[in-house]
Amino acid sequence: MAEQFLQFVLNGFLSGGILALPAIAFSLLYGILRFPNFAIGTYITAGGFIAFAANVTLRLPLPVAFLLTMVFTGLLGIGVDRFAFRPMRQRRSLTLAIVSIGVSFILENICRFIWGNDLRSYNLPVSRGMEWGGLRVGKEQLVIVLVSLAFMVLVQVLLRYTRLGKAMRAVADNAMLASVKGIDSEGIILRTSFLGAALTGAAGVMLGVDTAIDPLMGFKLILSIFAAAIVGGIGSATTAVGGAFFVGLAEEISMIWLPATYKSAIGFGMIVLILLFRPAGLFRRTRVI
Amino acid sequence: MVNYLIAILTFVLIYAILSLGLNVQWGFAGLVNLGHVGLFAVGAYTSALLAKLGVPIFFSLIAAMVFAALFGGLLSLTTLRLREDFLAIVTLGFSEILRLFLLNEAWLTGGANGIIAIPRPLQQYFAKHYDLFYIAVLAVALILIFLFLERLRLSPYGRMLRAIREDELVAATAGKNVFRSKVQAFTLGAALAGLAGAFYAHCLSYIAPEMFVPMVSINVWVALIAGGSGNNKGAILGAFVLMGFLEGTRFLKDFIPLLTGFRLAAVREILVGLFLILLMIYRQEGILPEEKINDAATIPAPPQA
Repeated sequence: MAEQFLQFVLNGFLSGGILALPAIAFSLLYGILRFPNFAIGTYITAGGFIAFAANVTLRLPLPVAFLLTMVFTGLLGIGVDRFAFRPMRQRRSLTLAIVSIGVSFILENICRFIWGNDLRSYNLPVSRGMEWGGLRVGKEQLVIVLVSLAFMVLVQVLLRYTRLGKAMRAVADNAMLASVKGIDSEGIILRTSFLGAALTGAAGVMLGVDTAIDPLMGFKLILSIFAAAIVGGIGSATTAVGGAFFVGLAEEISMIWLPATYKSAIGFGMIVLILLFRPAGLFRRTRVI
Repeated sequence: MVNYLIAILTFVLIYAILSLGLNVQWGFAGLVNLGHVGLFAVGAYTSALLAKLGVPIFFSLIAAMVFAALFGGLLSLTTLRLREDFLAIVTLGFSEILRLFLLNEAWLTGGANGIIAIPRPLQQYFAKHYDLFYIAVLAVALILIFLFLERLRLSPYGRMLRAIREDELVAATAGKNVFRSKVQAFTLGAALAGLAGAFYAHCLSYIAPEMFVPMVSINVWVALIAGGSGNNKGAILGAFVLMGFLEGTRFLKDFIPLLTGFRLAAVREILVGLFLILLMIYRQEGILPEEKINDAATIPAPPQA
């Protein structure tokens, strides 16, 4: 029983690690554009399939495919912002949220159109999992968690110490004031769109390595991503990481009692409870972004 | 061809009821609901399960409305105080979790296999032209709902909902119970979605969770926004536009080779998504914009001193 519990905790860390990147993306984008972006779910799907094309169709090694994917999903994020969100900058948040759902359906179905509904996987050498006292961890899983942690640190460094990061925080804090100080807000939106989509695309590759690639892989995660960002406190990229691990652990540990298909119900329950009772998030830190 | 048109018209009428329901919530009162399909599903499953137990269809239809209203009422009671963009997340989430429930709780819902052999009302009397009879029933229901909602729209209550939509604070300052009215509007819209679901279930005589995906909610949104949100005629017209659009894309396969099966389905959803975005950006008022009602003129002038 204790062993089984530890295995769930371990799985929870893995899914928290994968959730953290889109949760950071959600928070960064929310901080600057002020609407919940449903398209983030499908950036995961797009990432999964772009890497599939690079790795399986073009036979590139997976690390190369991974980097290419980040570039391409980043560009996709910029494209989506240009065509769908930019014409609506001054509109209310809800309108943009609905537009982002439209975007999400379009991207998901472009993937479906090209690759169909079958489950796909990357071209990876079969590796033996490691076992410690009954706990199983695959090598891929370990790599995923490490890469994801590295990205979390990089994002923190970017936000705290670089000009771009400071400008992003300034726009998120007060767009008007930032523009008075000469910060080009469209330029910041462009960079944030790239960064957010690239991080999310990276998570898509990780998810594809961990499970499988299919057109619904991202949309199925959207409630968990929102939950992570909301539990962490909306708009904060730092606490979104904490929220992601919290949601990932809660979802996996709940599998002891619940059938696995109800996983996203946990995220949904958290969204409702947090929004109702602690709308500033579970940790209530001061806002960094 | 005639059968095809009859089938399409049936779906148009069902979508029109869904769209009128969303119009009460979004068009009248300005309440976001991206989980309309969930309430549609509650109605479909309620009526189907009761009818299979031998409950007369008339009562199972009423039960479908009551149950969907209950779900809608509970959903709105807990969440309507949220900011509207979060309400979008919560309502969409509700419909997804409900679908998981339908998939998992096979003891009640039949799981992924769904429910088969749902009774079709009065089939023994209309063996030959049952589809036409069903369309007549749907049309009568739609007309009654339309007349009721038109009265509601022009009544002081409708005026209050519009006031809440435009500016809650002002409505509250004028002594209106904003929260209660919002819950009422949401519940009424939910009841209509439930009724549409019941009609849907008895029409197909088969339902399964895969029919109740978020795309249905998006379709209803497209119908309402395209037709004209806030306008009951627009909501109905939108259902025709949507179905024309969806069915029109079917003929794409005659012109473009390789466009079959999942590819065709994907293209249709891409076009619906694109249509939604373009509507939101360029024509949010729809084909039939909301009629301007001079609310002030309907209020009797105060007696002169």
